[in-house]
Amino acid sequence: MENVIHLALAGNPNAGKTTLFNFLTGARQHVGNYPGITVEQKEGCCIHDDFGLSIVDLPGTYSLTAYSAEELVARDYLVNNNPDVVINVVDASNLERNLYLTSQFLELGTPLIIALNMVDVAESRGFVIDAEKLSELIGVPVVPIVARSGKGVNALLDQVVTMVRDKKQTEPILLRYGSDIDQVLTQITPVITEHGLLTSTYPARWVGVKLLENDKQIISIAQEEQPEITQQLLDQCEKVATHLKTTAGVYPESVVADHRYGFIKSILRQNVVTQKFVGDRLYTSDRIDKIVTHRFLGPLIMAAVLFGLYYFTFTFSGSLVGAFESTFAFLSSTANNLLPDGPIKSMVISGIIDGVGGVMGFVPIIMFMFFGIAILEDSGYLARVAFMMDRIFHTFGLHGSSVMPFIVSGGIAGGCAVPGVMATRTLRSPRERLATLLTVPFMNCGAKLPVLTLIIGAFFADHQAVYMFFATLLAWMVALCAAKFLRLTVLRGESTPFVMELPPYRFPTFRGLLIHTWERTWQYMKKAGTVILGISILLWAMMTYPSLPESQVAKFEQQHQEIATSYQKTDGEQSEQAYEMALQELQSQEAMTRLRHSLAGRIGLAMENLTQLAGIDWRTNIALLGGFAAKEVIISTLGTAYSLGEVDPEESTPLKVRLAEDPNWNPVVALAVLVFIMFYAPCFVTVVCIAKESGSWKWAFFSIGFNTTLAFLMAVGIFQLGTMLA
Amino acid sequence: MSDKQFAKSCHLFKKIGKRCVQGKKKRHVGIRPLSDTCCCGRLKVCSVQGDRETCARMAHMGVLPGSELELVCPNTGSQCMVKINGSTLSLDHIAATNIMVTASEQG
Repeated sequence: MENVIHLALAGNPNAGKTTLFNFLTGARQHVGNYPGITVEQKEGCCIHDDFGLSIVDLPGTYSLTAYSAEELVARDYLVNNNPDVVINVVDASNLERNLYLTSQFLELGTPLIIALNMVDVAESRGFVIDAEKLSELIGVPVVPIVARSGKGVNALLDQVVTMVRDKKQTEPILLRYGSDIDQVLTQITPVITEHGLLTSTYPARWVGVKLLENDKQIISIAQEEQPEITQQLLDQCEKVATHLKTTAGVYPESVVADHRYGFIKSILRQNVVTQKFVGDRLYTSDRIDKIVTHRFLGPLIMAAVLFGLYYFTFTFSGSLVGAFESTFAFLSSTANNLLPDGPIKSMVISGIIDGVGGVMGFVPIIMFMFFGIAILEDSGYLARVAFMMDRIFHTFGLHGSSVMPFIVSGGIAGGCAVPGVMATRTLRSPRERLATLLTVPFMNCGAKLPVLTLIIGAFFADHQAVYMFFATLLAWMVALCAAKFLRLTVLRGESTPFVMELPPYRFPTFRGLLIHTWERTWQYMKKAGTVILGISILLWAMMTYPSLPESQVAKFEQQHQEIATSYQKTDGEQSEQAYEMALQELQSQEAMTRLRHSLAGRIGLAMENLTQLAGIDWRTNIALLGGFAAKEVIISTLGTAYSLGEVDPEESTPLKVRLAEDPNWNPVVALAVLVFIMFYAPCFVTVVCIAKESGSWKWAFFSIGFNTTLAFLMAVGIFQLGTMLA
Repeated sequence: MSDKQFAKSCHLFKKIGKRCVQGKKKRHVGIRPLSDTCCCGRLKVCSVQGDRETCARMAHMGVLPGSELELVCPNTGSQCMVKINGSTLSLDHIAATNIMVTASEQG
């Protein structure tokens, strides 16, 4: 398309950028009621007035002096990609804080339109905002919108098109920062202009302000480009910084920030905001917070909420799980009737239906769990959980900002370690960030959830919700202890302060809840139908080939004949039953021999020498190996390993029953396996993500080794102690 | 909140056996770290301490000398929740210790 407008959505965290992005593009990007959900830019497009709009949703940022990785993403995009228009999404109910970033866009000369979002919330609090007056005073278009419902969004896009058609250039505005700083800026700006220091990308005065603000990224780029000039400028900045610190006890960036806030206040006081009625100084959110985050009541409420979530999930999903199991049993028996005997039939039944069916059978549980989590997330309660957990996290050498990555990774079961690892970008301290990204894989992600449900359902079915609740607590405890260990050994160092903006409580919309539930459930189902299917077939092949040698096949054939001959001679119902039992036993023996002879069987057997210390048999070893590709594969592989050799699919029993009846499994083994699965090496994708985010494969390999060793030691401890006590 | 209330409420806290640094150091009524303030209400920021990056980040969030904030959840000596410029901030113990406050004149 010829008329393409490149549009960027920028603003404070939790201002509604992603909600607007989803409304414009029809996408279903994850939106949550807590800051830091978007940590990387997302792209989408839409058409308006014959113009194609290419839209980028940027991570939220409070300032253009980048302090964390996700803030750098936003600034770098705005500066390096030069979008035609930047829509600054501003929370109308919190105008002063949000306009702080706007003032920096204006200083940078960004082609800006302000989307005054959540005007309905502002009105409900008695605030009336004169958008025209605001626009007139700051010199950029201001459009009131409600991104949730789409109100005003068309007018916003009209304004975008008008701005591009008019080819209106935005000149950087000049803010005053007080005599001390202004004096230095007057001296250094001409030097920056004269030497062209970064002026191809930024306005000269802006570079000067950033040098004064001690912006590490700008200083580093400037030093690379022109080291001598940069040093001269930095010396001048240092002088004024020392002067301000000595006389006023503040750094230049505080003075700059103060003047920016002063600029905003001067605008807002010119009748931009009027209050229709004087509401309470504390809003409903604050009143709720007084109870929900109370020192004593808060943790009790949190524990009750989490337990309620598990109770809701496991109580209401039961009948649907049964329906899914029956469907796959029906498919299995249909395939058995329709397909001729041979490897294809074996692959379809053991590889595909049992493998994928095992994973798909947990869709109802996943769906209910995600629905519950969506309620907590959209209401804003998850941010309060982070607030309450902050103190505990500090004790273990982590940071309050680490709470969100833990929750995203499955802190309330059902997340994913990949976005969890990426969410660590909000942490500024490298040590705390590393400690967090190495320990988030310990959480019970959505892929581990079915495995835990299976094992708990098989051996501790009477108290499923209680055991799941304790599994979550255990995951947190182990992750925090591991973090403490890392912070005391390889990642020693001081803690950094934690400041987080808490979003107000909001009523989740039913549509929003359904979208969140569906998008996560669909991701799970898609993975089951693609990656898991592929790996299931691969593992089936590994568990089937190489085939038994001819001599052994002939031996089993001969035994078949012998059984048939011996029972033909006798008549009666009893002898028929005995014949079937003998045949079944022989077939089971044959299947086991085949599995032992296969490639996967040989690997599993080789590992058994070590894993038997934890009570883990060779068939489970195969599943655990598969789990490194994706944790869901553990179920599909167990399904395949324990279904090979089943003679009558009509009598096919669910995997949990097969495990419960297997002589190699008992509650102690189940507990050891459960703990091992919870804590051993993260899946392959997470490992790659750890390498990418930590900037080194060293930490990725460390994660595999450290987690597996820890998990194995715990499993051995449980098995040995459990066996001794039993 | 007045100076008197500012000191009295924390002193009362001590009486009922709760941890409250202000209660132990009654002489420093004027200025104290936010982390030591155990009563809700409006407060004025006197200074922000800590390293340069911390001060800058606080400044960007609106926590500046002279600005007013409302302590919503004190949590006595641990992390706390404050309202500033219309938004609610959660501060951990280290951050709260770095913010020196005094009673607000507006009450």
